[in-house]
Amino acid sequence: MKILKSLLLPYMAAVIVGAFLWPAPAQGFIGESSRIVFFHVPCAWTGALAFLVAAGYSIAYLARRNPRHDDVAAAAVRLGLLFAVLALITGSLFARIMWGSYWNWDPRESSFLLLIFLYAAYLFLRAAVEDPERRAKMSAAYALFAAVLMPFLFFVAPRVTSSLHPQTVINPQGKILMDAPTKAVFFGALIGFTGLFFWMLSLETRTARLDRVAASRAAAR
Amino acid sequence: MGEGEKRSAGAVRRVWAICAKDAAQELRRRVAAASIFFFAATAVTLVSFAVGPFGLPSEARDRVCSALLWIILFFCAATGLPRAFVREEETGTAFALRKVVSSSLTLAGKTLFNYLLFLAITAVTVPAFSILLEWRMGSVGALAAVVVLGGYGLSVVSTFLAALVARASQKNVLFVVISFPLLLPLLLSAISATIEAAGGSSPATALRVIVAYDGAATCAAYLLASAAWED
Repeated sequence: MKILKSLLLPYMAAVIVGAFLWPAPAQGFIGESSRIVFFHVPCAWTGALAFLVAAGYSIAYLARRNPRHDDVAAAAVRLGLLFAVLALITGSLFARIMWGSYWNWDPRESSFLLLIFLYAAYLFLRAAVEDPERRAKMSAAYALFAAVLMPFLFFVAPRVTSSLHPQTVINPQGKILMDAPTKAVFFGALIGFTGLFFWMLSLETRTARLDRVAASRAAAR
Repeated sequence: MGEGEKRSAGAVRRVWAICAKDAAQELRRRVAAASIFFFAATAVTLVSFAVGPFGLPSEARDRVCSALLWIILFFCAATGLPRAFVREEETGTAFALRKVVSSSLTLAGKTLFNYLLFLAITAVTVPAFSILLEWRMGSVGALAAVVVLGGYGLSVVSTFLAALVARASQKNVLFVVISFPLLLPLLLSAISATIEAAGGSSPATALRVIVAYDGAATCAAYLLASAAWED
């Protein structure tokens, strides 16, 4: 595990260098703007993965009532929000270059914003409940309730307005429309961001566990 | 009558008993119920003063009026529906309720009461809104279907979230913060269905989305009721 963590830094450095220097810019995009796909899509993927991890650990918490599962779920939501915000920012930068405006009410843009609201509300709920056990139970219930209703965001939002979003990864053909070097860097970035997420998750979870232990010791004194 | 039938008849009786209890409490404290209707009346009056019957171009009329109508209904729901569980905590009856009735039946009873309350609010708000803004509906039946199905989803989600926030601090603000993103897919579908109903066409696609949302919310609320309400 330690070796993997040590390898992550040079790996991510290689991905970043590759993203800027290896594949030629994609046709049909202004200047070098297509290179944002190596950062924007992995951020969006990692955000979605983090919310799935949160839902999984919320189920585990409700089944076993182990506070460590709650620590992981809460940390996953915090990190998911970070990556989702980064995906939104990188998307907005791309939108400014390609379409002339940071915000276009593109369905994917707006559904991602709503996803951020949905999980920001999770953190508000956690902050409003004092008792740790009750907080964990309510947060898990909310996270699962949100996970059930989340698909409707992605089903309804695309039907409200038409989309300008490039269809290189998610498209009706079900194919990834990229050349070989672009595909290599793209999947390299996906793996790198996923690894980064799990590393950050382990750090956040350990910090939360230490906080919990410190709080219980302070209460016992 | 078999054992299963007896049990389901008992469950229906308990759900109805909780609904009737909430209705009796609400009617006893008339100020609480009246405040929701007063809120609705104020919002409709404000909108009609601001927009008026001739303040909108005809091509934008259905879209803007539909959006305004559902925004008013959402805030009416946010004002009144969370009280179902908050009142139990404030009056100290929550503990007894948890001991006597299962959490899923409690949630069902309170959802039923909230749904009836929402329909009552709608029965006053929609005609008033239509009259004050001179807004003619192309298909009243389609609008009724949107209100009945959309109101059900709104009631289920609001009641479930009310159970969650009942023991949190800053309940009212928190309820709006956590309910808005969850209810948005439903509200957007209800708005688009209302636009179609106002134009006289059938809002079949939007109604299908609302029915699917209602089903998903009901199942999730039923499965998570004990986590939300029990100690």
